[in-house]
Amino acid sequence: MAESALADGERRTLLRQHAVSRLLSPLWVPIFTAVMRWGLRWRVENIDVVREEFARLRAESDAPLLICANHLTMYDSFAIEWALAGPRYYLRDFAALAWNTPEKANFASTWWKRVIAYLLKCVPVERGSDRKAVAQVLEKIRFLVARGETALIFPEGGRSRTGRVEVDSAAYGVGRLVSSLPGCRVLCVYLRGDQQETWSKSPVRGETFRVSLECLEPKTDARGLRGSLDLSRQIVTKLVEMEKVWFDDRQ
Amino acid sequence: METTEIQERVVKILTPYVKDQEALASVSPTTNLLEDLKVNSARLVDVVLAFEDEFDIEIADEDVDTVNTIGDCVTLIGQKL
Repeated sequence: MAESALADGERRTLLRQHAVSRLLSPLWVPIFTAVMRWGLRWRVENIDVVREEFARLRAESDAPLLICANHLTMYDSFAIEWALAGPRYYLRDFAALAWNTPEKANFASTWWKRVIAYLLKCVPVERGSDRKAVAQVLEKIRFLVARGETALIFPEGGRSRTGRVEVDSAAYGVGRLVSSLPGCRVLCVYLRGDQQETWSKSPVRGETFRVSLECLEPKTDARGLRGSLDLSRQIVTKLVEMEKVWFDDRQ
Repeated sequence: METTEIQERVVKILTPYVKDQEALASVSPTTNLLEDLKVNSARLVDVVLAFEDEFDIEIADEDVDTVNTIGDCVTLIGQKL
């Protein structure tokens, strides 16, 4: 993806969104955290260990960091961001709070959803739409991650309809993003609630999540499309391995 | 290579990826791969890689963004041949 793919106006729009989101973050970050913690009574097992690991990864390098996770519910990104760091950390290191690419139909269909998505560092995408529009969203994410921001992408493209991560579902766009960001680190996150048997709209109230993290620097000798697809599959394959460990541990 | 021949080979390559097999009977240059043929967007890149192998061409990442319809596929392949 070439640098020129994003017009100056679009860059300014993203930077403005970042500034507004950051300005209001002392308000919305604690509110969303409180909703998850006390409203929905979600819990993350060993949350201190997970947060320590994420903070260590953030501190050890300035290289671009892309978070790639499994995807089972519409609210996975909320749970993942909460698992990775607390409100005080995010208010100190706002770039650690990941940008998201939620489905337009779910998170940007009304004006109030659009306001929330705007504040929550979202760049909505219309899945299955014109390829150029999807590529433009990826280019925005590339621009942000190259500037030191973090982004969260679901490399399967959508919620796993089988309830399990599938290598064949790997969307090559993630690999394309990684290959366009020199030195990019990929933080693979496997998050699943104990009661999450398959995909659903939302985790249940009172859910306990178990989370694992593994950092990758995917490399490939292949060029072009094959290279991008190879990188995507390396990431999804890692998630499959992490899923196996998750289920083995549960037994 | 004639446009009609390219289209025939494109449709043949697409066939295993098409969820709505009935739609294949009435394909035209304006047939949309995702909306009309219900090709999974995650598999689109596999389709394009199959074009590379079939026609012995190389397609850039950016070119995938131009592929929406059968006609787009034919045009892209025609340009690379």
